[in-house]
Amino acid sequence: MTFDPIIPESLWSVRYDNCKENAFFQVFSQWTDPMWLRDFFFHHKHDLNEYFKVTNVDSAIYETIADAHALQCLILDLAVEGDLNRVFRPLEPSRMSDMLLGKEKAKGEAFKHPSWLRIYALKVGESTYIVTGGAIKLTATMQEREHTLEELKKMEMVRNYLISEGVVDAEGFIDFLQAD
Amino acid sequence: MDKVLDFLKSHQSPTPSRWREDAEWRRANWGWLRYSQFIAIRMLSRMDELHITQASLAEKMDCSQQYISKILKGQENLSLESIWRIESALGIDLVKSALTYVSGYTGTESQRPQYLNNSGGEDLDPNIKTSDLVEGYKASRKKRKRT
Repeated sequence: MTFDPIIPESLWSVRYDNCKENAFFQVFSQWTDPMWLRDFFFHHKHDLNEYFKVTNVDSAIYETIADAHALQCLILDLAVEGDLNRVFRPLEPSRMSDMLLGKEKAKGEAFKHPSWLRIYALKVGESTYIVTGGAIKLTATMQEREHTLEELKKMEMVRNYLISEGVVDAEGFIDFLQAD
Repeated sequence: MDKVLDFLKSHQSPTPSRWREDAEWRRANWGWLRYSQFIAIRMLSRMDELHITQASLAEKMDCSQQYISKILKGQENLSLESIWRIESALGIDLVKSALTYVSGYTGTESQRPQYLNNSGGEDLDPNIKTSDLVEGYKASRKKRKRT
């Protein structure tokens, strides 16, 4: 895998092997593609209704595109201001937000309901993140659905890679987990 | 920290990402992209209802399937002729429904130009606001019902 700077010095994205673009680019391509979104929401129609009480797939698509646009603008603006801790928050509420290699998610701006868009990233510094992927999260936990579970696996894989390459201190990471 | 950045820089992808370029383009063109995306969503929905494939729609519209595919991506700056062709081929209204859905327009035909100018941020008459037009429209409908 290789890495692409999204915001130089602070936000990077993984580009997985055999992929033309990075994970960050790919999630926004999907979130702004009506055809992809239609397939997704038809496949997850039950969750959309069960968790968000949304029955109209067309509305869900339109809101997703609008939400992705807002999130994208936010990131573009952050490129100027540079405080990523404003949009990324700890994945697991019980864990500290400033932890080393924590799994982070960027939540989309909410419109008519809480946003279901998530960008997943590893925190590797004070305000430095590496995006590993993203998902439309319609369920309470990531473990409940295959596509969000897949994102967890990707985060784990990238984290293990960074540790194995000696980019981050594995010992320090273990100590941290123990302290947590 | 420097160690992390040094690693990332030394493992940078050989070709630059197009994300920023694309994102800035989408932001600059968001005004009309919303309409294009709305049209794509409506088309996909109607095509499902009618069980029409992209190929048969292309045939009905006398264009290539590649062009239909581009329209359905919601990033095509459509001409009025193309919109009319889509409306005719699928038997749907796009202009009016797009105005309603994207801009929240609910006024009458005669109020439409004023509304569009307001929502575009270029007020023809600074004393008339969109909300006034909508309220005026609602009041006139109530009045019509009474008479």
